[in-house]
Amino acid sequence: MKRREFLNILIAEVSNFLLEGNPLRLVISLHQESDGAHLSFFDDKKRDEGELMKIRNALNPRHSRPELAGYYGLMAGHDTSWSARLKLIGWQIKRATVSNTDSGIQIDIWLGSDAFNPADFTIDKEKK
Amino acid sequence: MRSEPEETKRYILLASFLLIVILIGLFTDGIKETFTSFMTIQTISGRLIQDFTTISIGGALLNAAIVAIIGMALVFFSSVTLAGPTIAAIFTMFGFGLFGKTALNISFIILGVFIASKIANKSFGAYSLIALFGTALGPVVTYVMFDLHLPLLVSIPSAILSGIVIGVILPSIAGVMLSLHQGYNLYNIGFSCGFMGLFISSFFHASRQMSPITITWNSEVHWQLHIIIPLISIMSILFGFITSKQSIIKSIKEVKGLQSLVGRLPTDFFDLVESETPFINMGVLGLLSYGYVNVVGGNINGPMIAGIATVMGFGSFGKSVKNSYPLVVGVILATLLFGKSLNAPGPMLAALFSTTLAPIAGQFGPIIGIIAGMIHLIVVESSAAWHGGFDLYNNGFAGGLSATLVISIIHWYQSNKKDEDFNNET
Repeated sequence: MKRREFLNILIAEVSNFLLEGNPLRLVISLHQESDGAHLSFFDDKKRDEGELMKIRNALNPRHSRPELAGYYGLMAGHDTSWSARLKLIGWQIKRATVSNTDSGIQIDIWLGSDAFNPADFTIDKEKK
Repeated sequence: MRSEPEETKRYILLASFLLIVILIGLFTDGIKETFTSFMTIQTISGRLIQDFTTISIGGALLNAAIVAIIGMALVFFSSVTLAGPTIAAIFTMFGFGLFGKTALNISFIILGVFIASKIANKSFGAYSLIALFGTALGPVVTYVMFDLHLPLLVSIPSAILSGIVIGVILPSIAGVMLSLHQGYNLYNIGFSCGFMGLFISSFFHASRQMSPITITWNSEVHWQLHIIIPLISIMSILFGFITSKQSIIKSIKEVKGLQSLVGRLPTDFFDLVESETPFINMGVLGLLSYGYVNVVGGNINGPMIAGIATVMGFGSFGKSVKNSYPLVVGVILATLLFGKSLNAPGPMLAALFSTTLAPIAGQFGPIIGIIAGMIHLIVVESSAAWHGGFDLYNNGFAGGLSATLVISIIHWYQSNKKDEDFNNET
């Protein structure tokens, strides 16, 4: 239940963010293991480097903030009719990468327990 | 347990504040009287409004400092960052240590939140803010322990149990309350504690154990209390400038930049700047709040210092001059509209604590902020009676209700705009 709820709020918040760009296509892909999961989001809206950097910074905070993740992180994914706040999930995930593809943006997010093993996933070695 | 270099400096600053406060207390009343009155304060229920400075300045200041030190220790040992939210919590705890929180009555709630973190299989750090702010329901513990006039063999275990139960339940409520106002009420735990307080108060009413709310308010002038806020405000400003290691102009520009932020939960100002300039914002808010209280002829006593210290604390976690002033204007207008006195306890406290709604003014502008401030005063004047005065953050409770109302209406209006829907025309 905890894992399902977490995936739900995460998918809702990132989808909300991507839908703000009013894309014509949006694809969400999930790969789960027992100790973690990998979510990929693709849309058809390309972003410039400044926008990509903002998204990266929101999803990869400089410091671990358990006090913010465990409490204010509960707001993530609940109100999907207003502007998305990616930082609410940035504190709760293991890692995120953001890049432009041929057609639009690709956001990869890895999440998991303390036993999370990056080797089980297609996470870039230099980005771990 | 962790402490990076900039955090170490922050710990030193906060410890200096508290040391000065303790010394002022000891200087005022002497060691013996300070400790005797400190012990007396532990036996007071502390329901709204019991100004501990009426018992003794020294005892009240010592209690406030110890309550804040407990907060600092919790932050340090739970491995969370001493930054915006935790500094806000420690300032708030210090303030309410002058009217309601005691070293005794906060401990069991913190223990309860710790147990809740174990039940939820989370680190205590994840629940640390709930533990810090959740001490707002401390008066329940002392009320059960001393005001029900039960034999101590019954009252002490009952009080400990009630504190632990509150702490265990609080995290489940706090998250739900956040989603009601979506982070537009900065004192969310106050909202959550008020919600719990409705049930606690109802229980005491049902068991005919509810005594009426009384107000103890220190209206005498004490220079020892008067110097505290200007002193810590100026220290904050100097600390902000000196430790930022950049030009004064750049620091001022950064503080100006903070004024443009919405401040919606969770906006940690220390995350948005590379320096310690949020302390300058805190100091400026402290001086302005102190100035307001004096201009309208209010008393500088325990509750007022609590109000100003809370405003200062949240000066690093959502509040700026720009997003706070509309709320104060709203409270002033509503106070005058309803023929109340601006320096009466209720409107004075409301003017300071209404800034819990600062993100509303920050997001939707000063007019909506003023309206929110007016609504806040109307609600807060009644809401203490609803929870029997057990929730020390009564303004957080009223602010949560006001924010939920305002945000719901704005949300409904914005969500139903025509351009938000699929096009019906072919």
